[in-house]
Amino acid sequence: MSALTRDEAALRLDHEQTAPGPNRLMRAGWYLLLVTLMAAGGIAVLQRTVNGLAATNLTSTTPWGAWIAFYIYFVGLSAGAFLLSSLIYVFGMTRFEQVGRMALLTALVSMIVALVFVLIDLGRMERALSALVHFNWLSPLAWEMRFYLIYILLLAAEFWFAMRADLVRRAARSRLARWLSLGSRSTDTAQDHRMLRVLGTIGVPIAIFGVHGGTGTIFAIVKARGMWFSALTPIVFIVSALVSGTALLALLYILRQKALRRPVDSRMAADLGKLLGGFLLVDLGLLLYEYLVPLLSMAPHETEVLHVMMEGPYAWSFWILQLGIGMVAPAIILMTRLRESVPLTALAALMVVVGIVGVRFNIVVPPLVIPTLRGLPAGQYFPSAVEWWSSAGIIAMGLLLFSLAADLLPVDDDAHEIGGTAHD
Amino acid sequence: MTAAAPEPGSRKEPQWAMVIDLQKCIGCDTCTVSCKAENRTPPGISYNVVIAMELGEFPNTRRAYLPRPCMQCDSPPCAGVCPVGATYKGESGVVIIDHDRCIGCRYCIAACPYGARSFDFGEGYDEMIAYAEVQAPEYGVRRGPRWRGEAPIGTVRKCTFCLHRINRGEEPACVETCIGDARYFGDLNDPNSVVAKLASSPRAFRLREELGTQPRVIYLK
Ligand code: SF4
Ligand code: SF4
Repeated sequence: MSALTRDEAALRLDHEQTAPGPNRLMRAGWYLLLVTLMAAGGIAVLQRTVNGLAATNLTSTTPWGAWIAFYIYFVGLSAGAFLLSSLIYVFGMTRFEQVGRMALLTALVSMIVALVFVLIDLGRMERALSALVHFNWLSPLAWEMRFYLIYILLLAAEFWFAMRADLVRRAARSRLARWLSLGSRSTDTAQDHRMLRVLGTIGVPIAIFGVHGGTGTIFAIVKARGMWFSALTPIVFIVSALVSGTALLALLYILRQKALRRPVDSRMAADLGKLLGGFLLVDLGLLLYEYLVPLLSMAPHETEVLHVMMEGPYAWSFWILQLGIGMVAPAIILMTRLRESVPLTALAALMVVVGIVGVRFNIVVPPLVIPTLRGLPAGQYFPSAVEWWSSAGIIAMGLLLFSLAADLLPVDDDAHEIGGTAHD
Repeated sequence: MTAAAPEPGSRKEPQWAMVIDLQKCIGCDTCTVSCKAENRTPPGISYNVVIAMELGEFPNTRRAYLPRPCMQCDSPPCAGVCPVGATYKGESGVVIIDHDRCIGCRYCIAACPYGARSFDFGEGYDEMIAYAEVQAPEYGVRRGPRWRGEAPIGTVRKCTFCLHRINRGEEPACVETCIGDARYFGDLNDPNSVVAKLASSPRAFRLREELGTQPRVIYLK
């Protein structure tokens, strides 16, 4: 990191000259906050490393908890953000082009965060890589680990092609940019556009069926548990990925424009809001079927899970987080004229981003609370302090990665790979 | 690779199975205790539990007991989901965990329909002298002192029909110690074995049969 500081300084100077940058104090405060959170998270992760999973509130009855919920949460953000970037690079929706690079960066960082969550959840962290050596083709988890890797490489490549011309342009002024441009010289973006399109086209099925449908499949094949064992599960995952990814992008776009003291394109904010609203409606519709079918099937192992979800100790997570904050309230904002206000769109997006945490928690925990055999003890789970702090630290790490990349790389430059010729 | 169901009778290896006569079980928990002693399981882990149930409404009530070891399913969901193939079905029908390969993801715990798997959180009976000096003798593998944190700490554990005992020609500890003589153990491949005969009794049934896991533990109602 220290080797980059001079470049960083040079770039920052550069930034301040060319674009109205954010308040120095604000930036410093933001980084300080992230580093503090990471330090606290680091202590928690250390405790977890020393004490093993005994530092968590997990048990053999409820073997997965907050970390797995956050893992699928970030996989969802990633797949959603990526699919949005594909609207731009594959399907040519130029009106979202301004957030194209940010979408790719978000997808990349979210994926890294997701994998860190999986890593600290392993009982034997030191064997994480052996998951790539040994393979059981029947296990969706085994497939997922490989898909995640391919997908991360693909995202990194796409991100690079999206920035390449700007890196070349900056190369004269910044060593980092020169280094990252990997020796390419041309500032012609036609080739990049083609590559983005090719990579995006390969990426769409990988993201839908591999990364997100696949993550849903991890749960969907578990016939031992109510509410997981359903062909709808992977589809719900894909749709809620679209919801959460779009929401995060809308939020990041508006917040960053404000922080950088740049004008918010209110039409784009409204368009993103409209898109988010549409995805939300589909998600709500799926939710209806997802709950209605098990409910009316009257199969006890399914209805028991629904009971725990709706009236049990996690009811707040379902009613307030998932349904209230995550779905209904933002849907009301986004489906009415309220969405014409940028702050309200940002609020709706924020609510979705927070609410989806509840969605993920509800997927993971309630089915693991019901005992698999009648008479066995029921599970009880609420994350321990170590789990909370480590999660906060890992999320801060993700935000730090994102902020550093956004500060040091041409993420915010006016991007016109496919729509126009801003730099020519 | 692992989850294919071996048709009983298709292999030369004995196909181990257990029959538990629920009429004979008195719920004394001797099997649970002897299993804990045999496999030196840490606090919170019992490979073999006896589920006690009250059936019916007062005054027509009845207490029933259901001992639950690992079912050694013939199509074991736990082995199907294991990403690294650490759980697999051995030749003799016993579902085995390779503790040196398990990454501790606990997918198998989520997938087992019988709650038969436990994660080893590394706890021990500190009040028991020398508890940490030896590791569980699972599969006859000696791993040195438990306090060193070696596997199975951080991995998933389960009943193996006491594979290390079977390999010595002995019965599982729970079968040997059962006070009510409620448990039978033997080779399903051998038509003259007690388990093979009892398996075809009209009283025979298996747990959660609808899931298609084909348990190797057969109950007599
Ligand atoms: S009872 Fe559970 S642990 Fe045992 S073989 Fe069946 S699925 Fe696996
Ligand atoms: S915990 Fe171990 S045995 Fe169970 S699925 Fe994961 S790697 Fe396989």
